[in-house]
Amino acid sequence: MHRFSATKMLLNHVGDAPVVANLGPSTDELWHAGHRDRNFYTYGSMGLCSSIALGMALSTEERVVSLDGDGSLLMNMGTIATVGREKPKNLIVVVWDNEQWAQTGNQPSHTAYGTDLEQVAKSCGIPRTATVSDEEELQSVFMQAMEEDGPWFIVAKVEEMEEYMPVAPIEPEMTTYRMRRSFE
Amino acid sequence: MWADVIVEALKENEVSLIAYVPDISINKVTKLMQDDPYFHVVSATREEEAIGIAAGAYATGRNAAVFMQSSGFGNCINALTSLCMPSRIPVPMFINMRGEVGEFNIAQVGMGRSVRPILDVLGLPYYTLDTEDRLDLRVSGAIKLCHSSRQPLALCMTPLLHGGKLA
Repeated sequence: MHRFSATKMLLNHVGDAPVVANLGPSTDELWHAGHRDRNFYTYGSMGLCSSIALGMALSTEERVVSLDGDGSLLMNMGTIATVGREKPKNLIVVVWDNEQWAQTGNQPSHTAYGTDLEQVAKSCGIPRTATVSDEEELQSVFMQAMEEDGPWFIVAKVEEMEEYMPVAPIEPEMTTYRMRRSFE
Repeated sequence: MWADVIVEALKENEVSLIAYVPDISINKVTKLMQDDPYFHVVSATREEEAIGIAAGAYATGRNAAVFMQSSGFGNCINALTSLCMPSRIPVPMFINMRGEVGEFNIAQVGMGRSVRPILDVLGLPYYTLDTEDRLDLRVSGAIKLCHSSRQPLALCMTPLLHGGKLA
């Protein structure tokens, strides 16, 4: 499964849900897949993608989607425990797991050596979890997550692409402004 | 009492989501909020996570604040510089200052003394809370400034305000 193609597929199912993207390619690909006011692009703060989404899920009754990454989440695994403790029914965490830090020279991440993030989520009390490796499977679980109470934690195994999308516009202040205004 | 004053100032400024990492000296105020249905108090595992949670709340229209200890401020600097500052996300940070008068633990001194110089370098404002005198104006005014400038801001709470941690 490729992340950009899967991102485009997910956007067809999110409706008006806020979507938070991890820094780097996940943010670039979300922008190219379809810019919308409720996309929250991140440009730094590695590790905080799902924490930001958790804060959103505790502040709106709408579905909130996090598009996180394995390397980033490994930096802030505590937030998985906080999701398990808070159990927001409207939160869907998708982890693009390419088993590497692709942006820094393709160094293998801990998930390449057996760390199973779905098991971490389960042991933290997150009730709905899955690991998927093709787009069809992801679509089916994600559509279920958009309908049924979570929190959801979906590990999507992806193959790292050789070509990247151009960098999305870096305008963090506009990201916040657009998102917050859409809730007024 | 100082803790009630802080709770009222938060309400006055419609700050209702609190992300925090526990600290014995700020326990009085975080406990008040946990018992008050106006607030949703989230226990974070680490201070930068608390900043991320607060940022997400603000982006979806709910004002948030963070409570932490000075040692934990060191854990959240990148979240301030690469998320809150460029994204213009106002997060009032209530920081219990260790390493102040009466400190018994040498390991708390370095970070305690570094908080305000680091905030200076970042260009972020801070106010010291060390007395109940005009505390309401100081706290509420600082939160208003935080929101209007759309940048993080710190309220540094010293043992002279809350009594500190006794050895």
